Amino acid sequence: MTKTIAGASARRLYTSVAAFALTTFAASQASAAEELNALVWCDHTDPALIEPFEQANDVKVNLKEYEGTGAGLSILEQSRPGDWDVMVIDAVDVHRVIDMGLLGEMPADALPSADIFPELRMEANNTKDGKTYAVTEKFGYNTISYDKTKVDPKDMEDLSVIWSDKYKGRIALYDYYLPMIGLVQLGLGKKTADLSEADMPAIEEKLSAMKTVSKQVSDVVSSQTALATGEVDILVGGGEWITASLAKDKPDLDWIVPKQGAMRWAQSIGVMKDSQKPDLALKFVQYILSPEGQARLATSSCYWGMPANQKAGEHLGDDQKKALRWDDQDGYLKNTQLYPIPSAELDQKMQDAWTNMMQQ
Amino acid sequence: MSTASLEQSERRKAWGFVAPALLWTVAFFVLPFLYMAAMSLWSRQGREIVRVWNLDNYVRFFTESALLRGLTNSLEITLTVTVLSVLLAYPLAWIIAERVPKRWQRMALILAILPFWTSYVVRSYSWLLVLSKGGVINQALTGIGLIAEPLEIASNRTATIIGFVHFFVMLLTLTIYSNLIQLSPNYRRAAADLGANAFQTFWHIVLPLTLPGIMTGAFLTFVLCIGDYITPQILGGNNELVLPQIIMLQIGRRADFPMAAALSIILMLAVTAAYALCARWLKIERA
Amino acid sequence: MTTEIQARAPASLFRRSSLQPALVSVLSWLYLIVIYAFIFLPVAVLVLFSFQDGRLPVPPFNGFSLQWYETVFADRKLMAALTNSFLVAILSSILACLLGFLAAYALARYRLPGSALQRGLLIAPMTVSYLIIALGMLAMLNTLRIPLSLWTVGIGHVVINLPLCFAIIYASMGDHHINIERAARDLGANDFKVMALVTAPMLMPSILAAFFLSVTFSWDEFIIAFLLSRFDVTLPVEIWSMLRSGLNPKTNAVGSLVFLVSVAVLLVLELALFGRSRKP
Repeated sequence: MTKTIAGASARRLYTSVAAFALTTFAASQASAAEELNALVWCDHTDPALIEPFEQANDVKVNLKEYEGTGAGLSILEQSRPGDWDVMVIDAVDVHRVIDMGLLGEMPADALPSADIFPELRMEANNTKDGKTYAVTEKFGYNTISYDKTKVDPKDMEDLSVIWSDKYKGRIALYDYYLPMIGLVQLGLGKKTADLSEADMPAIEEKLSAMKTVSKQVSDVVSSQTALATGEVDILVGGGEWITASLAKDKPDLDWIVPKQGAMRWAQSIGVMKDSQKPDLALKFVQYILSPEGQARLATSSCYWGMPANQKAGEHLGDDQKKALRWDDQDGYLKNTQLYPIPSAELDQKMQDAWTNMMQQ
Repeated sequence: MSTASLEQSERRKAWGFVAPALLWTVAFFVLPFLYMAAMSLWSRQGREIVRVWNLDNYVRFFTESALLRGLTNSLEITLTVTVLSVLLAYPLAWIIAERVPKRWQRMALILAILPFWTSYVVRSYSWLLVLSKGGVINQALTGIGLIAEPLEIASNRTATIIGFVHFFVMLLTLTIYSNLIQLSPNYRRAAADLGANAFQTFWHIVLPLTLPGIMTGAFLTFVLCIGDYITPQILGGNNELVLPQIIMLQIGRRADFPMAAALSIILMLAVTAAYALCARWLKIERA
Repeated sequence: MTTEIQARAPASLFRRSSLQPALVSVLSWLYLIVIYAFIFLPVAVLVLFSFQDGRLPVPPFNGFSLQWYETVFADRKLMAALTNSFLVAILSSILACLLGFLAAYALARYRLPGSALQRGLLIAPMTVSYLIIALGMLAMLNTLRIPLSLWTVGIGHVVINLPLCFAIIYASMGDHHINIERAARDLGANDFKVMALVTAPMLMPSILAAFFLSVTFSWDEFIIAFLLSRFDVTLPVEIWSMLRSGLNPKTNAVGSLVFLVSVAVLLVLELALFGRSRKP
């Protein structure tokens, strides 16, 4: 008897749950007006950045985040034409997407090119045959972050510290092979632009030495955790993008561009060629590049970074500018180099070298 | 209606009931798996997937030490975890079943598996906070002066193993306990009447009878542990990679599906080998 | 009956020494304390630092604050992920239970050719890593150009939960139920009526057990949900991307919330459903 009651009540439970589920699902489907699909780095997922655009244009922006160009291209390869409207990608890799025939042309006069820091316009990367396919939106540095109370800041001025024994077991390596291999190249006294297969043996040797003296190889959050908990005192590959958001709680964290220089990262944003909503997509790009959008992007929750548009400065507070080191940019820009741009074969070699290092 | 045609229509009906489940399994499990197995024989060259049958991926696996190490790391970690978890969970299950008063047993068991309901991802992350240099354990141990230097227990294999063992002790306690309470008390009574002491009774009666439960649990542990990506990724500090991490690298960084498929087949073979070893204890039976 | 054994066992087992039981008892309690401490350590730390006043969920504990819980409830993405997880878990578990029940009924009540093989096939996904299931589906969906969505995640979750539901329900379909079903059939009920009005209610405890177990698994499943979803993600995937974007007591807060809510649901179920059916 109790069992039939249990059965009946269970059936009621099922039906009511199913009804609830269906209505919620229907509701979630109905609310979407127009949608824009964007493939981005995680800094674009901050609601403080996206919501103003959504409200102003009555549109829902669907965001898919990725980390590292390889991951982004991997997603593109698995997608159908028209799946994506906007893409954010490392500026040095824009040509890879152009060559895949996936990026669309943008009218140059629709973009605030004149307001962008001259060093960041990067026409060689963002344009092809005189056509503009992408525009730089944010930049920063992969260099050395450290706890200034635990290490001698003087030691950080020389890149060779990353493979020396002095701080053995107290170093974390940022898990992104491109800037890291670039840093090694700089440490070896060479330019990233010249990086070729011939440089790889020397680089691999140094990577191996770095692995030996390091404590861990980690992504953004593990790196932050490690620095914040004192698990490590140095993060190779870090910079303002990893320490700026921790500045309030960990004022002892600092970063430096060593005398050999450091890597400069720059992100570009562009409209996909097969987008069904090219106008809306362009509008989104324009919003991201507007002074307001740029200020929000620079201080987005995932990671901070310098805005490419100089006019963003008007919308940033003094403490924000200080954390971004707004006034020191001239010096940094002079002494930093872009990521290496490998061929497919060299890229594979670099990834293998990185995996081998981790597995050592 | 003749009995033959009655049987036939009955059978048709039965097929109708079992068909949806079978079709689902075939469509979304068997076919994708076969497709993946076929894919493991293609290869990715540059930016293209070349659909020519070859064994390149498997050859690479056995010749590149970084890839092969992935398998040995996985096996070492998984076996350590399985053995440690059984050794820790068995006494717990035994104490709950034998020492804890009957009316508190259910409570004790629920308590033992309660953290199971924290999110898996969050659980690994909180172990990171517990184990790190500035974490709770090291702060406590240095605080009471037990150790001078913080222990190196985060971002390495130790951390991965601790995170795994924590999860599987809960799982194994459950399976071993349910096995222990099914034992008829008559066996033990008989053993005692024959003059066996507690240890002899346990060793000759209880342990052999609970072996199927242990093996089922151990096999489950093996399968779940060797295929897991989260725990080594969060706790291992990338100081070594296990097979699932390498598989995710293939898809995530270069969309090399053929290589990922080949590595998955190898992972699958490891599980099959474990299954073959435990098979005689694994059955599903109707009550 | 049980008290009788407990009364007898120590007397005969430990006849030789009276110290032994005391020692075993002390060791048992000691072991219980240590192992429970190990089991609860990460949860305790998680909950404690969800109240951290400050940005870092690590010692020292700066003071008590609810700010991170507020940010969790204000986080639109997190709330959407919560709803998604709930939908996927409930719907996929219902489907898994339904398919599992039908299959178990057919295989337990009818003699079908190759039934051992069929059982093996239905159980097979249980012995394969989730990662492999996810990869296979991803590769196939890509090739067929089927876009990823919550639906594909749900399909994957049915694949992993179907074996579980089938095994649990099949195992509880004892032959002693057959007579009751036969009686119902003799009274003119067709198969569906028998199943819905006789078999299912009789098996309700194990059907519910299968259902809640698969809800639990689906709710907490990461790798399938990660690889087979696109914009709308489930809670574990959202927590994962939160983790990747920085160290934050918010992660602790959402983890604690999920834990507390699950435990509350568990206790309610324990008291309402399973508590009643427990034999005296």
